[in-house]
Amino acid sequence: MLLQFPAANNSEVDLKTTYDAVIVGSGAGGGMAAHVLTAHGLRVLLLEAGRSQDTGKILHSMEWPYDHPRRGNMPPEYHALTNEYTIRKSPYAQNSPYKNVQSYVQSWGGTDYTKTLVVNEKEHPYTGTRYAWVRARAVGGKTNIWGRLALRLSDYDFKAKDRDGFGENWPISYADIEPYYDKVDLYLGVSGHPENLPYLPDSKFQRPVKLNYAEMHLRETLKGMGRVLTPYRAGVTTDGLKHNKYRSRCYGRGACGRHVGGCDIHAAFDSPTGLIRPAMDTGNLTLRTNATVYEVTVDKNTGKATGVSFLDSETRKSYQAKGKTVLLAASTLESARLLLLSKSSAHPNGAGNSSGHVGHNFCEHVMGPSVAGFMKDLVGKPRTLDDGRPGGFYVPRFRNLNKRSGFLRGYGFEGGSGTEMIPGPASTTPGFGEEYKKHVRDYAGATISMGAFGEVLARYENYVGIDPHVKDTFGIPVLRFSYQFGENERKMAADMAVAAREMFEAAKFEVVSSSDEMLPEGWSIHELGTVRMGNDPKTSVVNQFQQSHDVKNLLVVDGSTHVSASCQNPTWTIMALCWRSCDHLAELLKKGEV
Amino acid sequence: MTNRREILKFAGGAFACLQLPGAEPGAPLFFTVEEFALLDKLTELIIPTDDHSPGAHQAGVAAYIDRTVAEAYVPDEKTSWRRGLAEIQRILKESGDQLAAVLTKLAKNEKNPQTEGEKFFTQLKETTAFAYYSSSLGIHQEMGYLGNVLLPEFRGYEAN
Repeated sequence: MLLQFPAANNSEVDLKTTYDAVIVGSGAGGGMAAHVLTAHGLRVLLLEAGRSQDTGKILHSMEWPYDHPRRGNMPPEYHALTNEYTIRKSPYAQNSPYKNVQSYVQSWGGTDYTKTLVVNEKEHPYTGTRYAWVRARAVGGKTNIWGRLALRLSDYDFKAKDRDGFGENWPISYADIEPYYDKVDLYLGVSGHPENLPYLPDSKFQRPVKLNYAEMHLRETLKGMGRVLTPYRAGVTTDGLKHNKYRSRCYGRGACGRHVGGCDIHAAFDSPTGLIRPAMDTGNLTLRTNATVYEVTVDKNTGKATGVSFLDSETRKSYQAKGKTVLLAASTLESARLLLLSKSSAHPNGAGNSSGHVGHNFCEHVMGPSVAGFMKDLVGKPRTLDDGRPGGFYVPRFRNLNKRSGFLRGYGFEGGSGTEMIPGPASTTPGFGEEYKKHVRDYAGATISMGAFGEVLARYENYVGIDPHVKDTFGIPVLRFSYQFGENERKMAADMAVAAREMFEAAKFEVVSSSDEMLPEGWSIHELGTVRMGNDPKTSVVNQFQQSHDVKNLLVVDGSTHVSASCQNPTWTIMALCWRSCDHLAELLKKGEV
Repeated sequence: MTNRREILKFAGGAFACLQLPGAEPGAPLFFTVEEFALLDKLTELIIPTDDHSPGAHQAGVAAYIDRTVAEAYVPDEKTSWRRGLAEIQRILKESGDQLAAVLTKLAKNEKNPQTEGEKFFTQLKETTAFAYYSSSLGIHQEMGYLGNVLLPEFRGYEAN
């Protein structure tokens, strides 16, 4: 049986102790740091700005929509941002008539589940250029809602500068991180089919999800084009994990696609059950929820980190936590914000920011270009069960591998086919009446679609900084964005749309719609960079072990340290890097070298 | 699979739980009785009963919309529905057309609606489709959806 995740009793959390490590944030990075450091026998305090929530109690993944009073939608006083990103200036929720305004992620999910996981934009504004920023504040962070695609990066990414001259190489190569990818795979479980591609290395796969008829047909078609369609590489345990009693194997309920992510049997990885709960069982972990960290405290003589200051998100009382080391994993943008806020006489530009690079080299994935259509052979055929799996398919990058395109780097596609609970053609079929109804019925099982995720170049001039004039509900200065897609992204997006259509036409699918429009910046929820790794303290913030060049006992272990975005989804890399850095940190602590 | 009787029970149930204290049994929460009757006809025209399954009327689509609009938080979400129905009434009266003919005209620009009537059609169709295909009747009887069950293993093709 699955146990209820225990709520931390915050009044009993010991703040007198100097912990071996204080970790800020409990998502993929923070959870992994807690796991690795406690496994090394170190005493760890984990701080999370949000509450502890029991997914099993709030997700209701198998509830039929008609059994929910609002068919799964949020209460009327809640509103999800949609076109506000385009038609308004940030802060987007300012003067909104709704009580609780949330990021766009709620609008495509149409679900009640995440309403307590993501922040109220009215309380947490930000300013500057357009950005659709999704922030989850709860134990587990965005791993409670992630899309589950668990991919590796390769030397095509880590050494991309060697290939095209742009940007910087990572200070590591694939050989450095490969053993840690293996550890993450074996500890958390990943489903997939080996393809032996140098630019998308295989993982230690559990049972792959199968493809349906249209997907298999597209796989065969793409083979003829020298491209690959592989079953969704899901960070989901399809065979189960004997060493983790908090997680079940996947039972193909298809629930992950009907909500904004989330798995109430925890077959899909989430940090609370995959990492934090087992770490608590070691007896070495203390979890403090509702802890909004606003400063990394430093010793004014040595310049070293002494801990953090936080305020209780409910009582708003201020506290100090002390640690021999401090690890930030508050998310790419929040970790950068925290470093910039931590100004002191020792670090006048913010902790770890002697280079002036904190907040810069901000990158992510561009989304939008997509294609949707039908496989004619399947129209009007008897119903099949198509959504009983954690994902459909993935088409790895095929641009700029051997031949140069008119733009730099690559993109991949995520897609799927077949019947869903609410049929896709219900919203795309024109007209009304008997003909409309029959069309929806006949075409529901024949649909196939895919959308692209492309690498946005990490450029110094794309950055976030502190806005001294605007504060959040806690009185903490907010982020101001100076970030936008550039010429390379526009060229890439145009190519994505052409390539998507070309593949569907080659498969003889009837294309119903295709788009070359980029969605607003931020849409992929894959924000990266801002605290990049590197060997040169003048042009990077942390070293290859995610240790601050300036403040040796301060680490940043989330996506902010990525040097480039690659086009592969980042979660698995965040965790593999963090594992490697924490192994190294444990060594240093044992030797007394931090 | 839900059988027809259960669906009828569901449609009745949807009405039953709509009642405010002191309201007429089955009375709409937001719309007037006349508005509700028009809304019900419109939704049934959009997704009608056919040989395969019952339509929007039996799926309680108008009742779902009535309830959603009644609890809407922002006043404009309510008034847009009332204005839209009034616009349909106006067109009906001025054109002398049947309701179905009015809808056919309004549906012509559904991808890029311009007039108040066309915009209302787009809103009405979107809401009707969601309410119908998320209803028990829509999911089970009309679509014969097979998922939302525990599967030992997904049946499909092995990548090779």
